[in-house]
Amino acid sequence: MPKLVNLTINHTRVTVPEGTLIVDAAKEAGINIPVFCYHPKMEPVGMCRMCLVDVARPVIDRATGQPVLEADGAPKLSFGPKLETACTTPVSEGMLVVEDSPKVTAARKDILEFLLTSHPLDCPICDKGGECPLQNLTLGYGPTESRFDFADKLHHAKRVPLGELIFLDRERCIQCGRCVRFQEKIAGDPVIGFYQRGRKLEIQTQTQPGFDSIFSGNTSDICPVGALTTADFRFGARPWEMEAHPSICAQCAVGCNIVFNTKREARSEGGMAIKRVMPRQNEAVNEIWLCDKGRFGYHYLQSGERLTRPMIRQNGELVPVSWETATDTIVERLKTGRSGLTVLAGGRLANEDLFNLKRLADAEHGKTLFYTHMGGGDLTGQVGLAPGSNLATLGKGDAVLVVASDLHEEAPIWWLRLKQAAARGASLVVLNPRATRLDDFAAISQRYHYGRVMDALAALFAGEAGQVLSQAANLVIFFGSEGLGVDGSQAVAQACANLLIRTGHTGRPNNGLVGVWSEPNAQGAWELGYRPAKNLTAELAEAHVTLVAGADPAGDDPALAETLQQSEFLVVADLFMTETAKRANVVLPALPYSEREGSFTSGERRVQRFTAALPPREKAHTEAMIAARVAARLGLKIEESLPVVFEKLAAETPAFTGLSFDRLAETHPQKPLLSREDLYYSGTAYENTAGLGCTLALTGSPAEAEPVTPELPAPVENALLAVPITRLYDRSSTLVHSSSILGQRMIGAEVWLNPQDAAERGLSAGAEIEIHLKSANWPVKVVINADVPAGAALLPRSVGIPAFELAALEI
Amino acid sequence: MNTLAEKYPQDIKRILAKYPPEQKRSAIMPLLFLAQRETGQVSPEAVQEIASMLAVSTTEITSVMGFYTLFHDHPGGRYRLQVCHDLSCALNGAETFLEQLCRHLGIEEGQTTSDGLFTIEAVPCLAACDKGPVFQLQGDGEIVYYEKQTLESAKALLETLRQRAAGEVTP
Repeated sequence: MPKLVNLTINHTRVTVPEGTLIVDAAKEAGINIPVFCYHPKMEPVGMCRMCLVDVARPVIDRATGQPVLEADGAPKLSFGPKLETACTTPVSEGMLVVEDSPKVTAARKDILEFLLTSHPLDCPICDKGGECPLQNLTLGYGPTESRFDFADKLHHAKRVPLGELIFLDRERCIQCGRCVRFQEKIAGDPVIGFYQRGRKLEIQTQTQPGFDSIFSGNTSDICPVGALTTADFRFGARPWEMEAHPSICAQCAVGCNIVFNTKREARSEGGMAIKRVMPRQNEAVNEIWLCDKGRFGYHYLQSGERLTRPMIRQNGELVPVSWETATDTIVERLKTGRSGLTVLAGGRLANEDLFNLKRLADAEHGKTLFYTHMGGGDLTGQVGLAPGSNLATLGKGDAVLVVASDLHEEAPIWWLRLKQAAARGASLVVLNPRATRLDDFAAISQRYHYGRVMDALAALFAGEAGQVLSQAANLVIFFGSEGLGVDGSQAVAQACANLLIRTGHTGRPNNGLVGVWSEPNAQGAWELGYRPAKNLTAELAEAHVTLVAGADPAGDDPALAETLQQSEFLVVADLFMTETAKRANVVLPALPYSEREGSFTSGERRVQRFTAALPPREKAHTEAMIAARVAARLGLKIEESLPVVFEKLAAETPAFTGLSFDRLAETHPQKPLLSREDLYYSGTAYENTAGLGCTLALTGSPAEAEPVTPELPAPVENALLAVPITRLYDRSSTLVHSSSILGQRMIGAEVWLNPQDAAERGLSAGAEIEIHLKSANWPVKVVINADVPAGAALLPRSVGIPAFELAALEI
Repeated sequence: MNTLAEKYPQDIKRILAKYPPEQKRSAIMPLLFLAQRETGQVSPEAVQEIASMLAVSTTEITSVMGFYTLFHDHPGGRYRLQVCHDLSCALNGAETFLEQLCRHLGIEEGQTTSDGLFTIEAVPCLAACDKGPVFQLQGDGEIVYYEKQTLESAKALLETLRQRAAGEVTP
């Protein structure tokens, strides 16, 4: 426990840990000291002078070292000659801070008058207007009139695109440096900086593309003025016109807490529309940050291409029908006796959908299959993170191992959290086939050849790193699927689980195995008993009635498309007319998660609830409802109401015992304290009033098992080794469309080659070539990257090339 | 291609040797001086090269360049007279001095004389507040301070510099 310090702020007595800054101590006491440059997530710099306060300290007798006392016995206090910045001054015992005196009030007024000398005051057209710290603090503390001549205002450029995502308005900038400091210290991408000095100072970027950082959107949140705005929300709405709906980001398995800001607008034909995605504070998950994919990738949710009506195949054509007809068609088929419903579900579905679909399948003597490119989820259910875990509390004495994953690309916020853990003193061990952005912070970073991960793990555990990992107070292992298929990642997970079990790093907070899944609820699917098929093609070929939900196997793999084409009876529930849906007998429009409630289980096993941000626009239903409706027609009782479904799920699934939507909605105060009432303190992120979620309990007693290492593909002369990798801006299961604002950064079909391999084959960067893989040719663009090991050809997943595990590839 | 590494291998080695390997970025300023030694300006290519040499972003290099009036990303005269116009100097008549100097050379602040010899720039504090008006002269690989200046003293200096330049042309 740090030492506690007593002080008085105005007339309030406050006790805070030693080292607390005055501004934060005041916040704890409910006293808001105005700031611009200070941010509770960053080191103070004292640049803006807005937080000036009067500080008195006890007078100490130099001879005796004792406090000098007044006549009444109280310690004598002495004020400093000048005001001090509350953001850089730590508290000390017996301190008196006055922040409501005329002297302080006058100082604030002057600072604001200076800040406003050249501020354009274009609040009526500024995106920040209504949630602007400068606007609010001017109203609270500023002068009503300026002594400066309006005509003397300096004018600067107002539409400076720092990149395609963030615009700079130079006139509005008050030079607080929050954005520059965020990029350097938190995001680790020092791609924006100050240029020139004084009145000429501007924020600049030199990267290609401009402001090349996957965390760039956060700078717009913490900018205390309207200087940095996003291209997505620019002139989109006024902050006070919008509603705020708590939700969860569905772009990866981290489960960042978000808010959908929605508004009724003419452009959406009088309907409600999502105008922006904002972070919602959850210090155990995403703090107050979001990656740009999460912030800008939501447009698919309200795409005009979404399915609007159920359809059934008649004479070879899909024709729109009513829900009754569609349901009847499915039920009739199920009743024909040749029963056996095979559900193939993706990790995009909510827990409630997965649960209801499983109940339907179970009732129909069917089976449930999990559509995934990655295994090991049965193990994360046994030796995953336990309740009470929080990556933010990992530090000295703790260790983290990352295997076969480029976290910066696959789960940016986890990358951020591990970077911070390393900075706090945790030992980070990284085992990857190529350099990744986590290496910079790793205590130990080792490489292996693709296909040799199991040997590499064994060697790692036997060596110095093994010592570090075994002896760590707490150990978390993240495993991914770089160059690995379901079996390969399953083997890696088993080896990692074995280490955790062997070294006693299971069943307690901050210890365990985390899968770097691509989907928001992959962990939930595993927890609910969904497992990948040993041989998916065979399963699908044998199935009588197949229901595919939240997955597009036909789009991912032409071989599966062929199999699905031959399906006896295929039902597809999805948002879009996917390749799989095109082959279906019945197509059902599903509801996007933004138009319904439900819950996802994150990779850290945190179950978190999302609420409907928009009314269901189309004639769509949740997968849970679809299952319930079909069941009802079959004479079975499956609940429709999602909170009730969740209760049922919790009652029947041991890990979920005791959970309910109400439990998931519980919150407790988080540090830093933030609220929309005083957004100058930490930015426009939303406070969390809708629930912090609950981590699943660990059930069962895990035991070590021998990992089953899949065989490597037979070497082919002159062939390269095709390696599937996951990239941030790929199309993956998250359905980001290339037409969206992220279009410029989205990747297409491409192959990454080592410079030497490319040179040997006479290929230059950007060349359009065909690769030969799995007895077919695929057009791709060449990307040359020195980090790619010789002999490897990296293929991003989800761009339509069937790379699921290591395979021979010819050019 | 005239990269810095090709042109000044020895100087770069000497500069880098001064700093511990984990603090290579300390070499930004000496390398920028090196880059503008000949032409009086730092080219974008040189910025790139220094950035990769020191493993920092180009943004950081340009930030340093922007902060200091010593570095230039645009061409100027062979000699740059950088006159301080901050408060102390202004109280000592720096603004009038700057105006007179400009008029004498027939250019505006920020411009270069047609013979390509002189550029006049107004810059913030040069840290000689008790000796204003002050300017620093950048040119021929040197930086020299001229304190307590008058138009006459400056004119004399300009004449000396002109003669130096003329002397080189006709030996």
